[in-house]
Amino acid sequence: MFERNQKTIFVLDHTRYFSISSEQYISMDYLKGKPVAESPGSGSSIVGTQLSKSLWTCAVESSIEYCRIVWDLFPGKKHVRFIVSDTAAHIVNTWSPSTQNMSHVSNAMMMVSVPSRSIPQSSDYSVIHGLRAAIEALAEPTDEQLQAAHAGCKRIGNKGRVICITSARDNTSMKSLEDIFNTVLIQQNALVAPPSKKGLQIDHCHLVILNIVPLGVESLVTNRSLLEISPFLNAEIHTVNAPEISDKLLHLIMGHYDLASTTVTNIPMKEEQNANSSANYDVEILHERAAHTKVCGPDFTFTTSIKPGTAYETVTLKWCTPRGCGSADLQPCVGQYNVTPVDVTSRPSSCLINFLLNGRSVLLEVPRKSGTKTTSHMLSARGGEIFVHSLSIARSAMDEAPSITDGPGGRVPDYRIPEMGQLLKMSRLVPLKTRPKGKCSQGEHLWRRMPRYFPRTANATILFNLQRQLSWLPHFLHLLVKEDMDKQDEVRCQQQIHELYKSASRGDLLPFSNSNNARLKVNKTKDQYRLFYRELEQLIQLNAHTPHHKNLLESLQSLRAAYGDASNKSDPSAAHLRSYTESPLSPERLEPTNSVNSSSSSILKASKRRMSGCGQRSLLDIISSAERSQSSKRLDFSGRLCTPLGQTAKLYPEFGNKDKEILTPGVIPSSLKDESIRS
Amino acid sequence: MPTIIALDTSLSMLRPVPGRNDHTYQSLALKGIQHLLDNLTASGKLEHVALVLYTTVCELKVDFTRDYDQIRQAIKKIEPLDKACLLTMLKTSVNLMATWGTQNLLQLVVFTDCGPGFGSTSIAGFLDAYAGKDAEPEYAWLKALATYNLNFICLGVHSDLYFTRGVALHQQLLDAAGLKGQLFMTKPVKNMETGDASTGCSHKSELGRTALFELIERMCECSYKLTEVTLKCGHYFRLEGPVLLWPPPMPYEQSAPYGGDPTIRHIDQRIDVCGFLALSDIGSPATLSRHWVLPKVEREKPTRRSGGLASVAKPPKLTLDVSNPHYELEKLEQDIRDFYMKDTKEAEESGDDADVSVVLKHSQPQTEQQKDNLCVLLHGALKQENMAALVLLGEKWYGFMYSYTDLKKRSNFMLNILPPGSHVIPWLGDLELLGFPSDLAPGETASFPVRAERRSYSQSSVVWIRQASLQSDVQKVLRHAKKMPDKTQHFYKELNRIRRAALALGFVELLEALALLLEKETTQLTLNGVSTECTLQLQHAATELRKTSNRDIKSTIVPLQKATAADTTTAPAPAQGGYLY
Repeated sequence: MFERNQKTIFVLDHTRYFSISSEQYISMDYLKGKPVAESPGSGSSIVGTQLSKSLWTCAVESSIEYCRIVWDLFPGKKHVRFIVSDTAAHIVNTWSPSTQNMSHVSNAMMMVSVPSRSIPQSSDYSVIHGLRAAIEALAEPTDEQLQAAHAGCKRIGNKGRVICITSARDNTSMKSLEDIFNTVLIQQNALVAPPSKKGLQIDHCHLVILNIVPLGVESLVTNRSLLEISPFLNAEIHTVNAPEISDKLLHLIMGHYDLASTTVTNIPMKEEQNANSSANYDVEILHERAAHTKVCGPDFTFTTSIKPGTAYETVTLKWCTPRGCGSADLQPCVGQYNVTPVDVTSRPSSCLINFLLNGRSVLLEVPRKSGTKTTSHMLSARGGEIFVHSLSIARSAMDEAPSITDGPGGRVPDYRIPEMGQLLKMSRLVPLKTRPKGKCSQGEHLWRRMPRYFPRTANATILFNLQRQLSWLPHFLHLLVKEDMDKQDEVRCQQQIHELYKSASRGDLLPFSNSNNARLKVNKTKDQYRLFYRELEQLIQLNAHTPHHKNLLESLQSLRAAYGDASNKSDPSAAHLRSYTESPLSPERLEPTNSVNSSSSSILKASKRRMSGCGQRSLLDIISSAERSQSSKRLDFSGRLCTPLGQTAKLYPEFGNKDKEILTPGVIPSSLKDESIRS
Repeated sequence: MPTIIALDTSLSMLRPVPGRNDHTYQSLALKGIQHLLDNLTASGKLEHVALVLYTTVCELKVDFTRDYDQIRQAIKKIEPLDKACLLTMLKTSVNLMATWGTQNLLQLVVFTDCGPGFGSTSIAGFLDAYAGKDAEPEYAWLKALATYNLNFICLGVHSDLYFTRGVALHQQLLDAAGLKGQLFMTKPVKNMETGDASTGCSHKSELGRTALFELIERMCECSYKLTEVTLKCGHYFRLEGPVLLWPPPMPYEQSAPYGGDPTIRHIDQRIDVCGFLALSDIGSPATLSRHWVLPKVEREKPTRRSGGLASVAKPPKLTLDVSNPHYELEKLEQDIRDFYMKDTKEAEESGDDADVSVVLKHSQPQTEQQKDNLCVLLHGALKQENMAALVLLGEKWYGFMYSYTDLKKRSNFMLNILPPGSHVIPWLGDLELLGFPSDLAPGETASFPVRAERRSYSQSSVVWIRQASLQSDVQKVLRHAKKMPDKTQHFYKELNRIRRAALALGFVELLEALALLLEKETTQLTLNGVSTECTLQLQHAATELRKTSNRDIKSTIVPLQKATAADTTTAPAPAQGGYLY
């Protein structure tokens, strides 16, 4: 969790020596236009138009570049601090995220500025102050470490790296620098020990000393690779010419953060001067090494090369001209990593960056041994960040998928896909700033939005199929599922139910679009309404949030009874509802607007008695099967009538059965609601 | 789960199985392979299988295929050859498997009589050579092999010393090389009566067809079982149902947050749909694995199967179960279906003469295969809307389901499992903070992507490590300088940008150099008789650059007011002092 590279501290030597020139001169002469236009008088000012960075500038710009890369690639995860050392240590930033960014550091650096040349050489001025402060800084916890401590973690890992940019006279003074650092480190850890408990124990520190000298100056300090000074300290020393310090740090950062470099080649770009033709450019980017290693296959190797002036390898991947492939295309991605260009200000880099930031994505090709090419990576930007995606290029066991339409249920024609699609669009997620109220779990949250009643296929519903034909129905259904149904809504629904009843008793046909109404027989009309009522009842029952719903349910049930299709009276939920609505606490109950038409149901009652052995079968089934037997002019074996078609009839179905109960639909918390059930 | 079936075709396999005159080890092994293929067929023919025969040499008979008949044909003509060399086979398998990369779980099923091998190619010989050399490149292939799942179907009887010794060596090999493997063998002779009762043979042996098939079924149960989970999408019972995931999701080893032992995590038994996202918003995030989501239906069992591949068989759902909590709703749906069906039926009947076959067709009960299911519905809607369903797979563990269409235009329902955690897709933000538009405060808007802080490449960074970039920045200022007063604002903006960068880097030399350049420019422009406004501004800028009082974080060089007021009627608003970011 807490790796060595999560804490890095730059200690910048701010003594007088750093004010001297790096002796690398930048010519500014050509800038002032054609030499012809130059007046003879101004020719003498040539000295002023050549300039050189100081050692200090070299140190600052290269260390800022180092943290630019770190913060681009590991936003919020890896921390870099700066400490400037002269007569004392000056803390530039802290571990706090608000100071871990480029603008904070460069603003603070403005106040530090280049060391003055006029200050006297004195032993007060030293990098030692900075190194001491760096060790103290290492002992300070980062936010993540505080969190770990908060979470009850006993042993918080605490390693770090100190990169010291200084200039020493010879190996002896370098040695004493290391020794002092080691001693202070041990002292610091002693402070952490139980009695004082100051800061975190430093498990290990990696000290990198960059000894810089102006161009052309020989240093007496010899380079030394990593050496274990003590169990807590490793140190290495590099002597570099000031102008090359950036290259050195770039080389070091690759190892420090396990980075890899990719050069995207063959990027076609239009020239400003020559807009008709395009030339090919290369852009080098950095990212975690895993972006390369995650992609693996037997028959290709990444082509690597070493660019002139650098000391690390870069993998060359070829730009693949995007063919209408937006960032939307879902690629089989095994890893995504932040990237940053090596040269952020160069024109090819900014061209590529803008191309990506504008929402296009780029596939990168790797040649296979067989001569063909495979896209192994993709570059794309999202939310203003550019990522490299490592794609899975090995053979997938999921090739050659059997189509879902060939699988179970794949050929069912009348799924309610358009309605489902509507639901998906209504349940689209958006990013919130705070956790939504009353949300227990992610899945729980969705339940409030998905309907409580949603048949999967069109042939399993009557209500939803009639929505287009009956103009009042969509609004009616919407009112019915309202979580906060009020009195007014209830009255409207009651009216609608009444209307429905009237048209049912008139024998009006329901306007199915898919059936031939003219041919429907009278009994079919009755079937229609009975099913309609049943479905409506289920819908209300599943959405019963308020007493109003319960009132509606009651009137519907009495209406069903009136229509000769009573719901099972033994239904415990119905009984429960009634007792609830009739309790003195419940709101005033509306009288059902219709009276029971007893004459029409008398025959049915008789038949119901006759068929009472059929147990859970509804009256509808009894009637319809009676119809069927009538039409075939022969009464079938009653057991067969009770059994679904295609099944063997069971004799004495009730034999040995206990009282059957229809389980009540679970008590539905009224806080849950459906937005709408309509499509 | 690409699988190599490796068959030992050494001469020892031709020995008759003790107590059975009708079987040699090889003929038994072939029956075993057939049975394995039967099992794989029954679970949907999803696995890619290759057939390898091995003796001292190892030969790929059938390359990876879903057409199992190729393998059935191939095992009809097997020619036994000398002795078995297991290690040659394992090494060859690693090469064969290489095309599959590391994203797939690779499996090996070895049918062998567990011969220990001879001489230097024997297992014992290998173990001697290997001891202590596991880091050497010569044995690098074992690292790859260690990720495979090895299944040995060990053919032999426990009374046979040759067999038991061989088995012990195989186990030693697995242990020494750290391989994931299991040896499947019959129980020792004591339990014989349960193992082989059905054959009715008087000379019972612990190894026979039935016993072997049991081994295979045990192996399939261990290694080829599809993962069954419940997919839940809201409250309604029809929007919830069992689904199968293939290939089975592998357990995820999650390192403890602050050190300590890692935990092995499996996805939950119930996966909840949390909501829906446009595929274009999701993009291509890194995923742990991809899986097909298949509706679970009862399949016909392959013959002679005792332990099912698909899990516990439920009674066929053709009759509605009254004890089912959703009985009322199911009944209603069925009645409505019947109603519609009768509708069409009657229409047909009244149209033409009633045809018995038509009636019969309609009255056919639906088989499970023909029934509608949640997967197809959800897939259809997701495909139509180009959306994905975000699903919760466990505590702080997410995935997304979507419709995937391959190159051949066949589409499928897919689940991508994300790495555990709620911050796994940076551009979607914290997945735990996703909600519905109704959760937003009034007037608040929210949309994807969640924007990150600006990175160095999306702000105008100043990096002067290369001389060219410094020069081009200076050039830019001078270009603007020539075009004043039109470009006065741009000139000062660039000038301040350079000045601030120079101050941050302690590069005061640049300020002086720039002042000189501006002065030169002034003299040149004066000679060419360019507007006084321009020269005045340049002179002003040069003076300001040199002022040490301006080397402060808060200072900003502003255009010369007098000149602006005098020469231009529409004076541009002077830049405000203070911070300019």
